[in-house]
Amino acid sequence: METEDDLCQNNWGNSSSSKLREPVCFTSQHKWEDASILDYEMGMEEEPALQVFDHMKASSGQEHNNNNNGGQVNVDFLQGVRAQAWDPRTMLSNLSFMEEKIHELQDLVHLIVGGGRQDQQQQQHITTDLTSIIIQLISTAGSLLPSVKHNMSTAPGSALFPYPREANNLASQTLNNNSNNNLAQDFDLPKPTIVQERESHVVEEHEMKDEDDVEEGENLPPGSYEILQLEKEEILAPHTHFCTICGKGFKRDANLRMHMRGHGDEYKTPAALAKPNKEAVPGSEPTLIKRYSCPFPGCKRNKDHKKFQPLKTILCVKNHYKRTHCDKSFTCSRCHTKKFSVIADLKTHEKHCGKNKWLCSCGTTFSRKDKLFGHITLFQGHTPAIPLEESKPSAQRGSSACENNTGMVGFNLGSANQESPQPGFMDGKMSFEESFSPLCFDTCNFGGFHEFPRPMFDDSESSFQMLISSACGFSPRNGGGGSVSNTSL
Amino acid sequence: MSLSLSVLSEDLLARVYGFLHPPCRKTWRLVSREFHRVDSLSRTSIKILRVEFLPLLLLKYPNLSSLDLSVCPKLDDDVVLRLPSNGAVSIKSLNLSRATSLRARGLETLARLCRGLERVDVSHCWGFGDREAAAISVAAGLREVRLDKCLSLSDVGLARIVLGCNNLKKISLKWCMEISDLGIDLLCKKCKNLRSLDVSYLKITNDSMRSIALLPRLEVLDMVNCPLVDDDGLEYLENGCPLLQEIDVTRCERVSLSGVVSIVRGHPDLQHLKASHCVSEVSLSFLQNIKALKHLKTLWIDGARVSDSSLLTLSSSCRSLTDIGVSKCEGVTDIGMTGLARNCLNLKTLNLACCGFVTDAAICAVTQSCRNLETLKLESCHMITEKGLESIGCYSKYLQELDLTDCYGVNDRGLEYVSKCSNLLSLKLGLCTNISDKGMFHIGSKCSKLLELDLYRCSGLGDDGLAAISRGCKSLNRLIISYCGELTDTGVEQIRQLENLTHLELRGLKNITGAGLAAAACGCKKLDYLDLKKCENIDDSGFWALAYFARNLRQINLCYCSVSDTALCMLMSNLSRVQDVDLVQLNRLSVEGSEFALRACCNRLKKLKLFAPLRFLLSSELLEMLHARGCRIRWD
Repeated sequence: METEDDLCQNNWGNSSSSKLREPVCFTSQHKWEDASILDYEMGMEEEPALQVFDHMKASSGQEHNNNNNGGQVNVDFLQGVRAQAWDPRTMLSNLSFMEEKIHELQDLVHLIVGGGRQDQQQQQHITTDLTSIIIQLISTAGSLLPSVKHNMSTAPGSALFPYPREANNLASQTLNNNSNNNLAQDFDLPKPTIVQERESHVVEEHEMKDEDDVEEGENLPPGSYEILQLEKEEILAPHTHFCTICGKGFKRDANLRMHMRGHGDEYKTPAALAKPNKEAVPGSEPTLIKRYSCPFPGCKRNKDHKKFQPLKTILCVKNHYKRTHCDKSFTCSRCHTKKFSVIADLKTHEKHCGKNKWLCSCGTTFSRKDKLFGHITLFQGHTPAIPLEESKPSAQRGSSACENNTGMVGFNLGSANQESPQPGFMDGKMSFEESFSPLCFDTCNFGGFHEFPRPMFDDSESSFQMLISSACGFSPRNGGGGSVSNTSL
Repeated sequence: MSLSLSVLSEDLLARVYGFLHPPCRKTWRLVSREFHRVDSLSRTSIKILRVEFLPLLLLKYPNLSSLDLSVCPKLDDDVVLRLPSNGAVSIKSLNLSRATSLRARGLETLARLCRGLERVDVSHCWGFGDREAAAISVAAGLREVRLDKCLSLSDVGLARIVLGCNNLKKISLKWCMEISDLGIDLLCKKCKNLRSLDVSYLKITNDSMRSIALLPRLEVLDMVNCPLVDDDGLEYLENGCPLLQEIDVTRCERVSLSGVVSIVRGHPDLQHLKASHCVSEVSLSFLQNIKALKHLKTLWIDGARVSDSSLLTLSSSCRSLTDIGVSKCEGVTDIGMTGLARNCLNLKTLNLACCGFVTDAAICAVTQSCRNLETLKLESCHMITEKGLESIGCYSKYLQELDLTDCYGVNDRGLEYVSKCSNLLSLKLGLCTNISDKGMFHIGSKCSKLLELDLYRCSGLGDDGLAAISRGCKSLNRLIISYCGELTDTGVEQIRQLENLTHLELRGLKNITGAGLAAAACGCKKLDYLDLKKCENIDDSGFWALAYFARNLRQINLCYCSVSDTALCMLMSNLSRVQDVDLVQLNRLSVEGSEFALRACCNRLKKLKLFAPLRFLLSSELLEMLHARGCRIRWD
């Protein structure tokens, strides 16, 4: 018995604990409950899939029995509900069933009250019974409502607990619709308070940090820690913490404890709300560090691997397993190419998606310039690509604009000249004519330009000829300087 | 004569042609059909002034290897796209500097046309960006690329060039402000053959220096004013770049003496060390290390504190020094300079600008010992008098460049001595107020080879002096007579004798009128740059003449001139090569006049300075057009 307890504690002691008693037992209840839910869902008795509990059941017969008894009743009842639609007769039988159960409950509570000092084992059994009875009561009471029944067959693993599950579905649905699935989606108390929310964020951050730490890789000597290995189903289970009263699942213990407050004042005491690890068996001998192994055979994180590297926390196990051994089902809504198996990774990616402006000729994009340059240095033949925006050379636009403008204003600028370089371009006369005669100020639409002496342009040629000959009598033809300057090599 | 010449075979003619001085080739062409043909076949280099003739000239000169389009207005994609496909096959070197309206399409066409392209210069093309760089990278055989001041070029563009042409030997990235460590790192990793690298003014850090240090064949490294590189960065170079011969760390703010020392330690074969304005003091450790540089030829330590003894130690160990720059150095005195002159007999270039304690004694010592002196810069050395100039005139027969800007001691007698340096090419006498026409006579009569003469604010200069210069220095290229207030039309008219003049600054000459300008413009056919700022009395007749004669004018400054609407219109439409115009504070100009003038030349303008309020008065189409053609406008 003691060994079983140890195992239990090793497995779960650090993830959650009970408010009333030792963490060991409380967590084992969780698991038990989980297993039984699975059983009910399948509609028959089966060995729970979880290995951990195989051990437990095999060794503790009484507990096993309790389990089975509780399960049997529930299954029957469930089948009854499923078979027929709501009718008063069923309701009556349910009520009488509840009456019976309440009596049972009373007896049990008496037992606890009058029992005085009991040993651990007994206490555990009593609590187990208590829990199972309460669950049955609640579920039966829930089925009394007519509107509930169509929910029974849906919601896998939660048929017994329609109310909270429904709320949960609803919550997750809306979250999905908003594509705003923040990790705190397991807030499913009907009216979550702000305090809760805040707390969960804190928890989440903390856990993320834990995960990051693991990436660095620690160097523990083999044997200095204890290796635990969860099963695939356990890892992929959406929730790991379940309410012992209503059965609702949670991802985080803190959220569960917040939820528990709704079940009565006894859950509101500071002790019940405190972080479980803190009040773990005082004075018990220091346990070994726990490290986790991935159940996937051949994985480096699997304990059978030659260079086994253990995972630090359960969250690491979960993320590792999803990232490495599961399909990537979340696709980025922006680029529609990147896929992720962990939703947090998708979030992180979406934050930065589309910001990769550094592009290599091979098509790879980088968020940082130095990464691109590192890539280019590494791979022969790769060059940085120049983004195609502003690919239109502005000179092109400019020249067309230029032509438009000249057309509009009505003078002909050098752009026309350059089309066909005339042989006589160097000639002073020619050039004068070309440059000036098209300046038809009549057609131009510039107001206030008429102060220009117009005759000057009409017979500019002659007037200029005059000026030049009088100025120095220099013929422009022979001194033009040529178009080519003499430069030696 | 033609009969006797026809005996010579074509290859003999070509050899004769090869000995010709470039300006004579024009005359050669005109001798006969045969001669013309030889010219066409032998010519390998061409600089084109008007793009209209480009296709024709390319056909005419089939063996061209160097094509310079840097002064061509109106060069754009359309021009290039119309070139014949076999036109530029032989071209290996292409100068596209300031071709601002040439974009990726044109560049790619050009790069494909010139199949054997090895050198390309696209400096100061401010529109040159990554796309253009990608176009250039088509020319895989490129060895030398000049990308100075390609402001839109980023690391991505550089990467394209680096990856496309990985046989690069020389690259200049000066003022490419977008280039960062990443680009430099990639360059250094991919172009292992790089011999020369210019990363001046870039915001690169020590990481780049680490990459550069890995270049096995680098010989020349220019890194002027790299503000983020410090001594640690230079330490990488100590153990890298085994073939380094030349380094320039001028004005690197964070580099101190220890950084320079680490370079010196690692490269005993260094020939050129330029560390102006980053070394604060020449210390003992520096001197000890620099002793090892037996082949050092150039040493620039401008702005450092130097003692006489350190100059002595320095010169006694590096006797092969030919170029020393100690401008603005505190502590440079006659004793130090005398010692230096005695040791470095091969000195060719000496920069003593702003060394106020240097007197005639030092100049005498330098000129007597270093007979091969070619360049002497004595700007603001106020203690120098005619005595010093006398020894310059006596001993420095090979002197080519003399800078006496702002030396009060220079007078007419001094100029008489200076004029004995008959090989003088460049003479700067700006702010020398004690010189007059008398001195100019001496210069004009003896310094006939002079190419550049700077007489900025020489208030004693009169018309006769200018006439003497114009008569004597026929090969003058650059003439600066700004603010020589005494000059009138009589003097300026004489400028027309300078047929080779390309650069003329007449700023602030209030006495000259249209007649003077007309005469000058009429004579100086090659005029390329003209500054007429504050020449308020030039009337339209001068501008009309300018419009008619100054056909090669590329840059003109007309600020504060009384140019009228019509005259400006004529100028701008007629000057078919004009590219850079300053038009600020023109009182007689109306908005419409500006609009018309600019429309007339908007397809060739590259740079423009305009009166700020015009920004809102000119039509938006015009401004768009100018921008699209790659014209930069400064509003003032």
